[in-house]
Amino acid sequence: MNNYNPISALLIFFVFVVLLFIFFRPVKGWFWILRKHFKNNEKTIIEDVLKQLYHFEYSSNKVDMKTLVQVLDYKNASIVEAINKMTINNLIYFESDILKLSEAGRDYALRIVRVHRLWERYLAEKTGFSKTEWHDRAEMMEHKLSHDETNTLAARLGNPKFDPHGDPIPTKTGKMADVIGVELPLLPINTIGRITHIEDEPEIIYKQILAENIHIGSLLRVVENNSTRIVFQSEGEEFKLAPIVAANLTVAAIEKEVVIEDNIARLSSLNENEMARIIGISKESRGESRRRLLDLGFVKGAKISIDMMNPLGEPHAYLIKGTSIALRKDQAAKILIKKSYEYKS
Amino acid sequence: MNQKNIDYIIELSNELRWQIGDDFHDNLTESIYADAANIVKDTVQVDNSKKRFRLDSKIDKIVTSKTFGFPIMFLILGLVLWLTIVGANYPSSLLASLLLDNMHPILKSGAASIGTPWWLDGFLIDGVYLAVAWVIAVMLPPMAIFFPMFTLLEDFGYLPRVAFNLDSLFKKSGAHGKQALTMSMGFGCNAAGVVATRIIDSPRERLIAIITNNFSLCNGRWPTQILIATIFIGAVVPGSYSSIVSLLAVIGVAVLGMGFMFGVSWALSKTLLKGEVSTFNLELPPYRPPRFWKTIYTSLIDRTAIVLWRAIVFAAPAGAVIWLISNIYVGNESIAEWTINSLDSFGFLLGLNGVILLAYIVAIPANEIVIPTILMLTVLVTGIDSGAGAGVMFELDSMNATGDILRAGGWTLLTAINLMLFSLLHNPCSTTIYTIYKETKSTKWTVFASIMPVILGFIVTFLVAQVWRIIF
Repeated sequence: MNNYNPISALLIFFVFVVLLFIFFRPVKGWFWILRKHFKNNEKTIIEDVLKQLYHFEYSSNKVDMKTLVQVLDYKNASIVEAINKMTINNLIYFESDILKLSEAGRDYALRIVRVHRLWERYLAEKTGFSKTEWHDRAEMMEHKLSHDETNTLAARLGNPKFDPHGDPIPTKTGKMADVIGVELPLLPINTIGRITHIEDEPEIIYKQILAENIHIGSLLRVVENNSTRIVFQSEGEEFKLAPIVAANLTVAAIEKEVVIEDNIARLSSLNENEMARIIGISKESRGESRRRLLDLGFVKGAKISIDMMNPLGEPHAYLIKGTSIALRKDQAAKILIKKSYEYKS
Repeated sequence: MNQKNIDYIIELSNELRWQIGDDFHDNLTESIYADAANIVKDTVQVDNSKKRFRLDSKIDKIVTSKTFGFPIMFLILGLVLWLTIVGANYPSSLLASLLLDNMHPILKSGAASIGTPWWLDGFLIDGVYLAVAWVIAVMLPPMAIFFPMFTLLEDFGYLPRVAFNLDSLFKKSGAHGKQALTMSMGFGCNAAGVVATRIIDSPRERLIAIITNNFSLCNGRWPTQILIATIFIGAVVPGSYSSIVSLLAVIGVAVLGMGFMFGVSWALSKTLLKGEVSTFNLELPPYRPPRFWKTIYTSLIDRTAIVLWRAIVFAAPAGAVIWLISNIYVGNESIAEWTINSLDSFGFLLGLNGVILLAYIVAIPANEIVIPTILMLTVLVTGIDSGAGAGVMFELDSMNATGDILRAGGWTLLTAINLMLFSLLHNPCSTTIYTIYKETKSTKWTVFASIMPVILGFIVTFLVAQVWRIIF
């Protein structure tokens, strides 16, 4: 034993580690791919087809077999088989080569959409998963929850109307609120509006929007709008987006002559020696974090200033209601303030 | 009321809820908070707070400044650790001479005089009594020094500022700034460090702090590190440098532990724990003069006494097991020898040996008895003439003599280095495991927190051993 070769021992070890990595690395590991493959049964395919048809119908687009096969990530043969079964069961029908949802099919599709959006809402409110994971997790969950489980979940979340991206959640009976607003690139310069929806597909564009720190529910003013870029001001900061990215934001223009407070800013932009009053907490601060902030006194009208700057840049300590509370930058960015021009003595 | 009416009311309420919309609940809560704040403003009078606040912000300016913040922090924490390790030596050796050198022979001769059979007095006095006495002698003094000092700093209000200063480092690894405090507490005792994670109110960060606390080198492991570093690593360099080199080696191991703490925290927050709720806030309370005697009293009762009691409860059976495995024979080998022989080849692969592995298995209840157990077992298998007999743990006053025994057991510099690494990276002691269970109420996380460090330890010692053998 004591005269083995350490080099071969090391080699065996590294081969073992590489194998483990190939099998179990997140998402692309063989283990997960195989597991996913075995789970893609007929029910999943049928439900995904229904959902796609519903989304096409909702955006008033027509869809034929070719387009459908392109958007779905399954083998063509299984899709054709599923479509045949669905026509027999009267979930869908053909109008020449255009696929249409029947009444029963639309009901079914709405149930799937309901689970998906409820689950995203659940992930946002009750768990710590990052935003980029919500969609994929909801995609899996929508095939799993039963009707009763969905209703229990909805009740626990207080029967919400919208998912965290601003998409409406269908009710038990299939009723759905309207998303107010138009795509951002359609707004003329100087329009004031509120972001009502942030589209989470495709993922690449959604990640760009997240990286820009754009928050749902914030007020904005369009500053520049042309074919190369769209510039808008929001919460004291300026955002520049490519039109293709901006198209994923839905903004409801504010028609009435509302007085928009010009000096709304994010708490993260407060400087030392400045005083401010809190206007509110952004919709992006959810669940437990939001309640904590309220508990600590970050409520409308409260006076706030910086108590201590951090030697490493964050978190800064804020003085609120006589107490010093440290918040990280991403939290402070979700608290809206109005700077007042009195200076701390 | 008939069914129709009830249905109608439910229908109506659903309709109204729909009309009110999503924001209603939020707005209601927020306006209640805002109203409450207004009422407070009108009714509560604040006086004189200004003057005190000035002093506070002056201290804060210094302890969180770019220039002085970090030096002050390292100075204070270093001082606390130094006082603990050096200061504990004297009461420890006093307790050791009382409980081990004097009490133990008295008990033995007392037992002999009333004619106790050898196996009973061996089991009770050499096994149970010795383990308990050892744990008390090594564990009590550092805890009795460390905890009160730490609690005083906490009470004064300085520790939240440390968390404040360090938070952005911890944020990078997905942890909470307050983990700096539970980690420092872990340098005293991991079980106490795990209890201290209660100050972290975010579920994900708290679990991270609990699972990674074991990477703080605790009081039970400092003496092992110092002893082995002095005997083996200090001996490599010329005599005049030996003490500084062995000190650096020990500090290096402690820093490596912090590295593992950050790394594992990061990995956990990105994988297993990413779904747990994560929030952050850190209150920075005003400074206040520590209530000295009350603090001393509570830290002795709440922290020291509880941890010590748990350790004793676990150490007693461990002592019994150590004595039993060395004295029960299967065929013509004792259980201990048989286990050591079967663990030897695996131990060799890790650059350790069977004695060390067996010592770490039986010493799960307390890291303090690892070295005495290793010495006893080494004497047992090599058959050299030293020690106090099978199953009787001992330590030697002279480091040279200790080194001689270990070298006779086949120890090399590699064995010493890997022992130091394995002492850092192995399962938490049973007191800590039990505390983790009490705090998380989850078998899954308790098992994970116990197994994960051992696997890490195996991997690290394995790699070091192979690389060492290829180079030398």
